[in-house]
Amino acid sequence: MNQHRHKDRKTLQYLKGEQIIKQGDYGISIYKILSGKVQVFRKSEGVEVPLATFGAGGIIGEMAFLSKDAEVRSASAGALEDTELEVWHPRELAKKYEQTSPVLKTIIGQALDRLRRTNRFMDKLAVTSTNKPGKKPTQDYDAWKSKRKFYRKEVYVPCRYAPASRPKGFPFLKGHITDVSMSGMGLQVSVKNESVTSHEVGESLHIDSVLPNGKDLSLTAQIVSVKKSRAMIRLGMQFKELPDYQETKKALGFFLLPT
Amino acid sequence: MSTNPAFDAYIMEVKTYSGGEVIIEEGSFGSWIYVILEGSVKVKKRTAKGMVTIDSLKEGEVFGEMVFLEGGTGARSASVIAAEGPVRVGLLDTEKLISDYEAVAPDLKTLIQSLMSKLRDTTSKVCSIVVAR
Repeated sequence: MNQHRHKDRKTLQYLKGEQIIKQGDYGISIYKILSGKVQVFRKSEGVEVPLATFGAGGIIGEMAFLSKDAEVRSASAGALEDTELEVWHPRELAKKYEQTSPVLKTIIGQALDRLRRTNRFMDKLAVTSTNKPGKKPTQDYDAWKSKRKFYRKEVYVPCRYAPASRPKGFPFLKGHITDVSMSGMGLQVSVKNESVTSHEVGESLHIDSVLPNGKDLSLTAQIVSVKKSRAMIRLGMQFKELPDYQETKKALGFFLLPT
Repeated sequence: MSTNPAFDAYIMEVKTYSGGEVIIEEGSFGSWIYVILEGSVKVKKRTAKGMVTIDSLKEGEVFGEMVFLEGGTGARSASVIAAEGPVRVGLLDTEKLISDYEAVAPDLKTLIQSLMSKLRDTTSKVCSIVVAR
C-alpha cells in the first residue's frame, strides 16, 4: 500500500480485458501502474499494432499531456491482468510544466514528435506485414471491454434547447442535462414541452448550457433514445456538431476528469 | 542563427560538418545536445543488416537529447551523420540545461523519462522489424 498518496491522486482498478484508454479520445490524465500489466496498442487500417506492455511503475498517458495542443490519445491501453492504476490529475502538473524552461520544453516537444513519427512508421511496417497472405491480426481491438472510467459524469444542470432546424424566432425550451460524456449527454425535459415540438429519435436539437466548471456549452446533438414517464421525457443525445471542436472537447475532457 | 530563438542563448559553440561526416557515433559516450542551424542530418542505427536510417532531421531540430534527458550517463543510442553538407550545428550549454532540468518537478521528470524510454523502445522495435524483413 502506498502510504504517501497525493490527495489529488486516485487509484482505479481494472479487470483483465478492460480498456483504459481509447485511441482518438480526448483525455489528458496520466496513469501510473501500481500493479498488474497493461498493453498499449494502436489500430491502423483495421490492424491492431501492439506497441508495448507495461508493468508496475510504468507510466501511460503522458504523451497527450506533454502535447502543446489538445492532442488525441495516440494509442489505446487495456488491462492484460487485473490492474491497479494511480491517476495523476493533470491540472497541477500542467501548471508546473508551464514553468519549465522554454528550451527544455522545445526539446521535449521534438522528442514527442519523433515518438509519434516512429509510432506511425511502426504502423506502416506492421500493416504491410499483416496484409501479407496467411497472416491475420493477432487480437481484435473490440475484444477489449470498454470500461473507460470517468467518461460519463452525472450532473443536474439547467439548459435551453430548440430543434436544430427551426424557424426564426422559435422559442427555446427548458430542460436539464442529467449526465455528460465525451460523445453525448442525457437530457430530461417536461412532457409539457411536447406540445411545442416533437422529441423523436433521429431529430437534432441545439443545446446551450453552462457546465458546473463554468465552461459554456453550445452544440448540436441528435436524439438516439427516448424514455417517457408520466411527467418527464428522458432523451439520450449524441453530439453531432461541436463548435470549436478542439476547445469543446478539451472543456469536456477537463470536466470529466476524476475529482 | 537557429530557427528557434529560444536556443540562441544556449549555443556555446558552432561546428560545421561536411556531408557524410559523423557528428555522433552510436555507442560512444557524451551528453551534448545539438541544434541544427543549417542543413540536415540522418539518424542511423547499426543492425545485423548494416546501417538503417531511422530518421532525418532538419534545421531547427535538436538531437542528442536522449542521453541527457535519461540522466546523462548512457551511451548514444544512434549515430547522427551530416547529410549533404555543409551542416552547421550548435552545441547547447549543458550546464544551463542541467540547471533547467534540476528545476523540473520530480513527477514531471518521471513523465519525461517515460517518454524517452518509449522513444528508445519504439525506435529499436522499428529497427528490428526493418531488419527482419
